[in-house]
Amino acid sequence: MSIRARLLIALLALVAAISILAGTLTYRRVLAETSTLFDYQLRQMALSLRSQIPMAPRLELPPDQADSDFVIQIWDVYGTRVYFSRPGLPLINATALGFADVRVGGERWRTYGLQTLDGVIQIAQPVRVREALARGAALRVVIPLLLLLPLLGAAVVGVVGSGLRPLRRVASEVQRRDVRSLTPIAAAPLPQEIAPLVNELNRLLTRLDAAFQAQRAFVADAAHELRSPLTALRLELQLLDRASDAPARLEARTNLGAAVERAIHLVEQLLTLARNEPREAVADLSPIALEEPVAEGIADTHALAAAHGIELSLESESRPVRARGEREALRTLVRNLVDNAIRHTPPGGRVRVRIRACPPDTGGEHRALLEVADSGPGIPPADRERAFDRFYRRASAPEGGSGLGLAIVKAIADRHAAQLRLGDAPEGGLLVSVTFPAFGEYPRSA
Amino acid sequence: MRVLVVEDDRMIAQGLERALRQDGYAVDGVADGRSATSALRTAAFDLVLLDLGLPERDGLEVLRELRGRGDPTPVIIVTARDDVPNRIAGLDAGADDYIVKPFDLDEVAARMRSVLRRAAGRGDPCIRHRGITLDPVTHTVERDGTPVVLSAHEFSVLEALMQRPGSVLSRAQLEDRLYGWGGSVESNAIEVYVHGLRRKLGNDAIRTLRGVGYFVPKEP
Repeated sequence: MSIRARLLIALLALVAAISILAGTLTYRRVLAETSTLFDYQLRQMALSLRSQIPMAPRLELPPDQADSDFVIQIWDVYGTRVYFSRPGLPLINATALGFADVRVGGERWRTYGLQTLDGVIQIAQPVRVREALARGAALRVVIPLLLLLPLLGAAVVGVVGSGLRPLRRVASEVQRRDVRSLTPIAAAPLPQEIAPLVNELNRLLTRLDAAFQAQRAFVADAAHELRSPLTALRLELQLLDRASDAPARLEARTNLGAAVERAIHLVEQLLTLARNEPREAVADLSPIALEEPVAEGIADTHALAAAHGIELSLESESRPVRARGEREALRTLVRNLVDNAIRHTPPGGRVRVRIRACPPDTGGEHRALLEVADSGPGIPPADRERAFDRFYRRASAPEGGSGLGLAIVKAIADRHAAQLRLGDAPEGGLLVSVTFPAFGEYPRSA
Repeated sequence: MRVLVVEDDRMIAQGLERALRQDGYAVDGVADGRSATSALRTAAFDLVLLDLGLPERDGLEVLRELRGRGDPTPVIIVTARDDVPNRIAGLDAGADDYIVKPFDLDEVAARMRSVLRRAAGRGDPCIRHRGITLDPVTHTVERDGTPVVLSAHEFSVLEALMQRPGSVLSRAQLEDRLYGWGGSVESNAIEVYVHGLRRKLGNDAIRTLRGVGYFVPKEP
């Protein structure tokens, strides 16, 4: 149901209810007031008659000519009716003194009886008269209100229409948005009620825009980066075609194999990165012991460490260190960190992985901390910020890297709401620390 | 012909260098922009294959610096940046040609020959001079219509000298063109090749300027 129809119905019903209430109240109030007045009049008439009767004990009063509502009856001391102002009416024989409500022949009367020396005077008036007065007063209140209804309806339609105009403008603005244009909606003068909706919408549009741009940049980067391994592949293939003797063929075959491995590695890393983005923190991660994924990640890189002549070690605490996390993603994180450390460390060097529960500076819960340190050349502070960028490779980067390792680490850390820091290792190389939030610090599920 | 390959991807650089050596070029390789600039300042190359996305210094900067010094060495950009604005920027910065990765080796070789030909001011792919015809594509030489069989090194020496008839190339310059850096050269290798050429093409095909070097005489 439209807001306009709902408002219209509600307002009209309200006005109708108010009219009925006002009418009823007016009716009752006017009825009460006229009753008091007429009662007073009944009594005054009776009293004035009593003062006249002794002067003319057998007064032959003419029947009432006026079309009056009042009916006068006078009885003498013997109970004989001596006067009746409206002879045609079958009126009360039994007289009550004082005020009384009497029903005669389907009509209700208000009567007043007064005892005099010569008998009883009774003045009667139909209640209908009083009710008609009250009804008239009530109608005079209700009718203007009812006449106002159509006007009110038109006003509601108009006001609601103009009130909803900003909403229609917002709607048509939203309609103009698509994947290519996700610009925020102009915050131009908007009613206070719609502003929060538009603000939220703009925030969503901004997030969407960022996500789409990131996606486009990712695809563009990926397409660009795939060219290098593909170039190497094609080059080696053509060299294989050209090779004229067995040693040249063997060399070309070996190089071709390496180029294929490299292309596969890049594609795998791209997929891993794509799987771990978008970088919104996920709140529904289950608590796990960090030792398991860390040990698995280290086992994945063990062969590489041995091939590079690197001493790879894991230090952990006696009690399991727990954090919220996805086991497979954390294994990938550790694998990439250790892989990176191994590749940057000269043969004979060391790569050390450490897990511990870190007491926070401000008290409270412990946080899980994962550190990977190596004895390689490290990264100068100026380059650390860019180190997590996709495809960022420093000039001294070793061969065979995809440039995605730390970007993957960053994506996974972000998903875990974990803090990632680069520093100097005691061994002289790079120290990467991943600090997981304490259990109480996780962002609420969106 | 001495070629500088500027490429930071070691796998591509090695493959390219191997292929170019097979084609008879003397190849030197550097992997970053700064080394490229210093190599171009210190040695003369007949051609540069230049990647754009380089560490330390972008390829375009290297190119602008080279042209800024008034150095006309032919440069072919070989890059993964395939969008039109980049191609335009590359050519406007002074590149002679633009090749997008992944490239075809034969196409690279053909474009190199084309650029070298234009750099030498010739339209004819073959170099003809005083009855000698040298075909850089097929690596064949004819003397008055009769094919002459040359070794790869003899061919390279003859090609270098015939590029600019009349100008003198020193022994060191010829060695550079034949081997690039780090190539081990026997002290009298060039003399041996020149001797071989004279035997096959006639004594006056190559002349000696004593103490300076060798040259192919201009039209008599």
